[in-house]
Amino acid sequence: MNSIKVVAWYTFKELFKSRILINTFFLGCALITICYIASEFTYGTPGRIAIDFGLGTLTLSSVGISLFLGVSLISKELETKTVYMVISRPVTRTQFLIGKIIGFLTILFLNLFILSTMALLTFKSYGGVISPLIIWNIFYTFLESCLVLLIVVLFTLNTNNTVSVISALVLYIVGHSIDPRTIMYFVEGRPGFEALIKFYHFVLPGFYKFNIKDFVIYKQELEIDYLISSLSYGLIYSLFVLFLIIFVFNKKDIA
Amino acid sequence: MISFENVSKIFKPDAFGPPFEALTQTSFEIKPQKVTGFLGANGAGKSTSMKIMMDFIRPTKGKVIYHQQLGKNKNEIFENIGFLPERPFFYPNLTGEDFLFFMGSLVKVSKPDIKKSIEYWAQIFKIDYALKRKIATYSKGMLQRLGFMATLLHKPELIILDEPLSGLDPLGRKDLKEIINQVSNEGKTVFFSSHIVSDIEEVSQEVIFIKQGRVIFNDSLNELYEKNKLKTYEIHVGSESKIELSTPCQQEVFSHGHLKLFVEKEFKNKLIEELIQKNIEISSLSLKKVTLEEIFYRTEK
Ligand SMILES: Nc1ncnc2c1ncn2[C@@H]1O[C@H](COP(=O)(O)OP(=O)(O)O)[C@@H](O)[C@H]1O
Ligand SMILES: [Mg+2]
Repeated sequence: MNSIKVVAWYTFKELFKSRILINTFFLGCALITICYIASEFTYGTPGRIAIDFGLGTLTLSSVGISLFLGVSLISKELETKTVYMVISRPVTRTQFLIGKIIGFLTILFLNLFILSTMALLTFKSYGGVISPLIIWNIFYTFLESCLVLLIVVLFTLNTNNTVSVISALVLYIVGHSIDPRTIMYFVEGRPGFEALIKFYHFVLPGFYKFNIKDFVIYKQELEIDYLISSLSYGLIYSLFVLFLIIFVFNKKDIA
Repeated sequence: MISFENVSKIFKPDAFGPPFEALTQTSFEIKPQKVTGFLGANGAGKSTSMKIMMDFIRPTKGKVIYHQQLGKNKNEIFENIGFLPERPFFYPNLTGEDFLFFMGSLVKVSKPDIKKSIEYWAQIFKIDYALKRKIATYSKGMLQRLGFMATLLHKPELIILDEPLSGLDPLGRKDLKEIINQVSNEGKTVFFSSHIVSDIEEVSQEVIFIKQGRVIFNDSLNELYEKNKLKTYEIHVGSESKIELSTPCQQEVFSHGHLKLFVEKEFKNKLIEELIQKNIEISSLSLKKVTLEEIFYRTEK
């Protein structure tokens, strides 16, 4: 337990000192500026624009960090052999992995926290009401970023960084576009497709389950059952990928 | 401390490439409380052996045995080992001090003890001036010093260093050799690799020589000298150039009318007789002192 904590802490420290969170802050400022400009040019619904833009930016930055920084989380350790220093200590590979991932997720969380605080304050200043659904949305963004991170890390254990990013990105985009709510018109009358899509999220990650932005913006309500089932799906799927990573990493020759 | 028993390692680069045998049936032992030099040309399999020792990679065949005194389980064993990889590179955004604390905390050394250890060793490694700087700004020699220092913080019994002296300036080499000696005098076991014979000769008591994945010899340096010594004699004679001799020997023209003759023990007396007969003056005769370098080249042939 102690080893995990130590690895997590220094992973966090290393990422923190790479000044990534400064970028987050500037991104937040840009977001506020854009919302301000947009509200000057549109009539009627500046609050809606703020939240639409805000949530979009949150997802983009969070998933982006997972994808483009996460890809080097373990692969860079293997490439530069820094991993040798850690696992030559009484630290198991599993502890090392979990520590690295927790350290990274802490940065991810802070990034999301800073950005969403800035976005929500802007939203509020335009008279918006912060509903629980917005919080759920932000939480889902975190969950989906975790999953992206784990997937891209799993890929990097088997192939190079470019292929890993592309594969993870493809899974992410496909995982979002097979949303049965939006492609029903296409699936209808094609029973094979319907079965395929139902099957898809058992094997490959169904990211569409975490996309509730339209409900947040237009309907402002969603059954709790749906929220819980998506949550469990995300957690179970993440754990599954985590186990795969641990399994592969423990088998691997770190040469 | 650690023994290899018939360890072989076959690398399979990818699904299509041919497999490559980096180690073939290697057996050797790291003896406790000695400095053991691990000698071999580039690509001989030194790093591969060390990675197997550290369980970074697994042997294809054979066994690695960790002796009782290192500990009973993997955790205990690794608490007693300090390892420095080849071409060390650490987290660039951490400071040297951060890194040392990181390494120290992984081995359950208390914060004040790490601090004391750092203060003590930083002086000896002459790195104290740079500990507050980011590792990204360190030179190769500084990285080497920092990495070596990190292996000592938890007072391990066995220190394994992969090419600790490579790429250092003469002063750096001298400093690190002295530290290896100091650590050894404190009763620790040091195992380090090098492709430079004189480095090994200077600091180690034991040497393991590996060539193309096979252990050629594993001996104490003294014994090695002893075994190789008695054969060749060096005779200095006064002559400006090489001379015609019927006794088999090697000749080497030295400066200012000096000629060196190298002769095997069995021909020594015969050669002396021949020299006296030919009225050539003998200025000295000595048992040739072999260097590890020569033993090394002899086995290379
Ligand atoms: N991961 C690997 N895959 C394929 N071949 C390797 C791998 N690691 C080392 N080798 C090969 O094994 C041999 C020994 O390498 P190494 O142990 O690094 O030598 P050195 O004695 O210089 O440390 C070399 O020929 C090297 O190319
Ligand atoms: Mg090497």
